[in-house]
Amino acid sequence: MGKRNFSVASLPGFGTIAIITFIFLYLPIVTLVVYSFNEAASMSRWEGFSLRWYEAALANRQVQDVSIRSLVIAGWAATLATILATMAALATTRNERRFPGQTMIYALINQPLMVPEIVTGVALLIFFAMIKIATGYQGLGYLIAAHTAFCIPFAYLPIRARLETMDLTLERAAADLYATPLQAFRHVTLPLLVPGILAGFMLGFVTSLDTVVITEFVKSAGQDTLPTYMLGQLRRVVTPEMNAISTLFLLLSLIAVTVFFLLSRKKA
Amino acid sequence: MPSSTTRSDIEIDQLSKVFGSGDDAVRALDAVSLTIPENEFFTLLGPSGCGKTTLLRMIAGFEQPSSGAIRLGGSDIADLPPNKRPVNTVFQSYALFPHMTVAQNIGFALKMLGRPKAEIEATVAEMLKLVKMEPMANRKPSQISGGQQQRVALARALAPRPRVLLLDEPLSALDLKLRKEMQVELKRLQGETGITFVFVTHDQEEALTMSDRIAVMSAGKVRQVGTPREIYNHPADRFVADFIGDTNFLTATVEKANGATARVRLPSGHQLDAGLPTGLSPVSGDEVTLVTRPEHARLATEGPLKGTVENAVYFGTDTHIHVRLDTGDLFILRNQNTTSAAALPEKGDPVAIAIPDGAVRIVRS
Repeated sequence: MGKRNFSVASLPGFGTIAIITFIFLYLPIVTLVVYSFNEAASMSRWEGFSLRWYEAALANRQVQDVSIRSLVIAGWAATLATILATMAALATTRNERRFPGQTMIYALINQPLMVPEIVTGVALLIFFAMIKIATGYQGLGYLIAAHTAFCIPFAYLPIRARLETMDLTLERAAADLYATPLQAFRHVTLPLLVPGILAGFMLGFVTSLDTVVITEFVKSAGQDTLPTYMLGQLRRVVTPEMNAISTLFLLLSLIAVTVFFLLSRKKA
Repeated sequence: MPSSTTRSDIEIDQLSKVFGSGDDAVRALDAVSLTIPENEFFTLLGPSGCGKTTLLRMIAGFEQPSSGAIRLGGSDIADLPPNKRPVNTVFQSYALFPHMTVAQNIGFALKMLGRPKAEIEATVAEMLKLVKMEPMANRKPSQISGGQQQRVALARALAPRPRVLLLDEPLSALDLKLRKEMQVELKRLQGETGITFVFVTHDQEEALTMSDRIAVMSAGKVRQVGTPREIYNHPADRFVADFIGDTNFLTATVEKANGATARVRLPSGHQLDAGLPTGLSPVSGDEVTLVTRPEHARLATEGPLKGTVENAVYFGTDTHIHVRLDTGDLFILRNQNTTSAAALPEKGDPVAIAIPDGAVRIVRS
């Protein structure tokens, strides 16, 4: 066997391992999706195809409420996080000379990715409890604020990546061609940054939809989101309705991730 | 040649730029003073790191001078941001806006200036015609070739009719044939628009063929300013002589200086009259550096220089003969090839070299 024909992919057992890995990753999800179409009220016995659990899920007022709440929180959090992350990314890439502590700021912005979620959750619980006592405000603002903070690094990374690959000379050229700093941003930087901003928004949105731990700690009574509601339901009766909700949730995430993928690939 | 009626357009006055501070400080530009008249094709020529691009960026407004003044038509522009200067740049990388069409790129400056739509459209059409890019108006920069991108970059910078057009090594990304075409094209555009061009290059041939005047720079200083002929025929110092064209260096001793020339003695004992750069007046006994161009010297039976042929390199139009002089120095002659194949000396042949009057100059070392 010639050495120049060596390829990792041709090693014996490589394909088998790859298949096992895929089964490992997707078998539970496939099972979940298949049983969401089960006629039976049991999660383990197949009795024929049916959409009854989807009907039940969609007709369930509680599911509707928590879904809307999840989308409202994710929408706000992703929007705010994207705006803040865009400003942070601009400040950390679009300066002529590095300012003192720039690396530090970069590390701090990404810190929520490293800190255990439970720690952030406990910290927010204590912090917001103090504010609740001081102001008496009990609304959705706490969850939105918590999710925003949590989503900033997820929105920041693709935006920053986009800015770093963008030629600084383009903004210089705009200034040279009589664009004021604001015009240069509006006509050159922003349009070129849009794919990164949309990708950041999508990542932030999905992250917010998915967060359980932080929501559990921060939410007041009656502020369940879809994941915390599902977690609560699973502790009681388990019906394929949960499968149906999970499948819909999965579909939503898949759409968001696909959009993210297509956007980040575009003209990168 | 600038006549007495032309006004000076750009005045660079004792301009310095220091990057960093303390021991790490780099003096990119060291008290440079230059005057560039209106409508001139002016070239900043020098090796990389000589400060030519820094100077260009300061005229454009992308760098702040550490000290000194930049005047445009008499008024100091050193404190103006780039968007307030009537100066446009053709960038080395072209820096075309990838999300805009060719026409939108060209119209960008006028749009930023808030000009009426009809005027923008008329100017864009005129510019497209000027650079012969009309069929490409609706293409994106990624859909046109490098040479075409270059033309669009030129049209975009010319569209707002700047006082001065700055060109930062704009031809360096093009292949040789296209580069030659664009050299002619640039000269034509400069003539047709009457705009002052400040052109930065490290390519001496490009500088010689295109410029009205050249400033040769090295290590943050201007070594010489002059027309291509002056720079080539009367280099002020060793650096300029070495950087522009091929040059032979010889050492000699001054016998007697008399005004514009000096009588010098070569190590072989032969005496020659050598031209002097302005401001240099050596005295008898001074050791000086002589320069002479390879195409000015010729092979002879008798001459002030003697040596042995080391190599003869055929170049098509001419043959370069490398002669190892008896003093140990290498001397290169350029012999134009003719149809009558006159016998050229071969490797190992002893030869003498004759240098006509006026072909030798003294330079500052």
